[in-house]
Amino acid sequence: MTIRAVETWTLEPLTTYVSEAGARLVLLMTPAGQVLAQSGFSRAVDVMAASALGAAIVASTSELARLMSQPPFAGLSHQGQRNGIFLSAFATDRGPLVVLVVYELDASSLGLVQLFLEQLVADLRAASPKTGVPKQVLAADFERELNDSLNSLFGR
Amino acid sequence: MSDDVKALSAQLASDPQSLVFLRLGELLRQKRQFDAATRVAQHGLERHPHLADAHDLLARIFADAHDYEHAFDEWDMTLRIAPQHTGALKGLAFLYFKIGDLAQAESHLQAAKDAAPDDSTIEQAFAVIRGEAGATLAPPPGRATPAHQPAVPSAAPEPEPPYVAERRSDSVSALPDERIFAGLEGAQEGLLLLDAAGLVLGGALKTPEGKDVTDAVAAYLAGVSQESGRAARLLDLGSWRGLSAEGQGGHVYLVQPTPESLLLLMRDRSLPLGRLGLLAQRAAQVARQWLERQR
Amino acid sequence: MTAPALARALDLVTRVRGVRGAMVVSRSDGLVVAEQLMEGIKGSAVAALASSLAGRLQRAMVSAGLGSSQFWHLQCDQGALLVVPAGAEAGLLLVAVTEADVNVGLVRLELLRAAETAG
Repeated sequence: MTIRAVETWTLEPLTTYVSEAGARLVLLMTPAGQVLAQSGFSRAVDVMAASALGAAIVASTSELARLMSQPPFAGLSHQGQRNGIFLSAFATDRGPLVVLVVYELDASSLGLVQLFLEQLVADLRAASPKTGVPKQVLAADFERELNDSLNSLFGR
Repeated sequence: MSDDVKALSAQLASDPQSLVFLRLGELLRQKRQFDAATRVAQHGLERHPHLADAHDLLARIFADAHDYEHAFDEWDMTLRIAPQHTGALKGLAFLYFKIGDLAQAESHLQAAKDAAPDDSTIEQAFAVIRGEAGATLAPPPGRATPAHQPAVPSAAPEPEPPYVAERRSDSVSALPDERIFAGLEGAQEGLLLLDAAGLVLGGALKTPEGKDVTDAVAAYLAGVSQESGRAARLLDLGSWRGLSAEGQGGHVYLVQPTPESLLLLMRDRSLPLGRLGLLAQRAAQVARQWLERQR
Repeated sequence: MTAPALARALDLVTRVRGVRGAMVVSRSDGLVVAEQLMEGIKGSAVAALASSLAGRLQRAMVSAGLGSSQFWHLQCDQGALLVVPAGAEAGLLLVAVTEADVNVGLVRLELLRAAETAG
């Protein structure tokens, strides 16, 4: 399984996580949907769609938690017939991050995905750069950065 | 029941503490009445647990009944009580010969010869191990030489049968894979040895219906082994030593003879899980010795 | 299957000397359904790993023509895991975490009894 990262500090924690949890697909991104690393995806359009939808799901569930006057949910899971998905948001020095995991029910389980998530979060926190407030992004910069990210994520 | 059995049985009944059980047990063994012989020997051992000859008798009964695992245990016990017991030394030599460990077989025979230099059966056994034509290991006393045995070699030795030549090759790696577990019960249908990559090294597995499932099961076992190791490590249970399971159709036992190999035993439900574990340890020892010789 | 029934099931197992914890685990998810654990036993880890190993072992046994696993025992240097399926269509697992020198036969019996209670 090939793991690619825009921000290389995410590679090692993600590699360990994919191996231990037996995840089929993993996306690591910001709450805004900017992808930092991916594992298992073969098409850029899938990454873009998954990151946009994942970010939207996290945003809507966070709003639900706010309406319920409680902290944001630690994780969200859906289970299908053959696959399950799991989303979780957490804080790092680099800023808040979201992980989207897709796993096959034959090869893994929600329990395993959650079990090793703790270690992933700890590893990412340990490895994350201590950055300041991200710079303002212009529309032209955004498109260029997106294309650069996609090139990195697919090894082009 | 024959007269001699009746007479000995009557003697034993009138004096249960006597050692006549040894003669009775031996007689029943020679008549291949193994169940009765086993009962007599075991009752005798209850009264004389430290009698080497009693353990030797029981071992011979087990060996005749092809229960080599228990035969080994009994001969081992015999030697603990009487380290120079020739019967036990010859018996163990026979068992080691059966599983292809010729070095151990010769070593035990030599010890027997040191203890009983005039025992001609020991030279015969040496002859078998060293591959000379016409010899068979420990023939029953009094049996005539079979007519089909080849003639004694003349000045120009006859070519040796391939099996014997194979055994005399420099390393036992010349043995076909299936002989790794030769002599162990279920070697061709319930014992499987894999390397770390999940590739079959020896043995085979068959379902109770006789279907060969060696490859199918081998494909899953590496994953089971890895997951066992991971569970043991992450739950702070140390290193894993074995995994036993009861199924609807039979039992399995998984062990690691070495860190780079995996051994699976499979039996139907008639064999208790505890005994399967003992058999697994014995088979693992055999596998370790075979793997060591491959290096 | 109710919470009291699950608690009773776990009581049967944990009262055996040498048992450090007992759990009811969802077989498909590897999540904890109920637990009685001593200090130092991480229930979520036991649940996830036991269910994962159960799945792999099940596939191996079915491929060997032995049918479903009814009991399995992982023996380690410093402890053991003992597992039996439970619940409707064996959707649950009853798991015991024990010391290395536990009476395995007794734990097995209690797990089987507990599985009937939990089912």
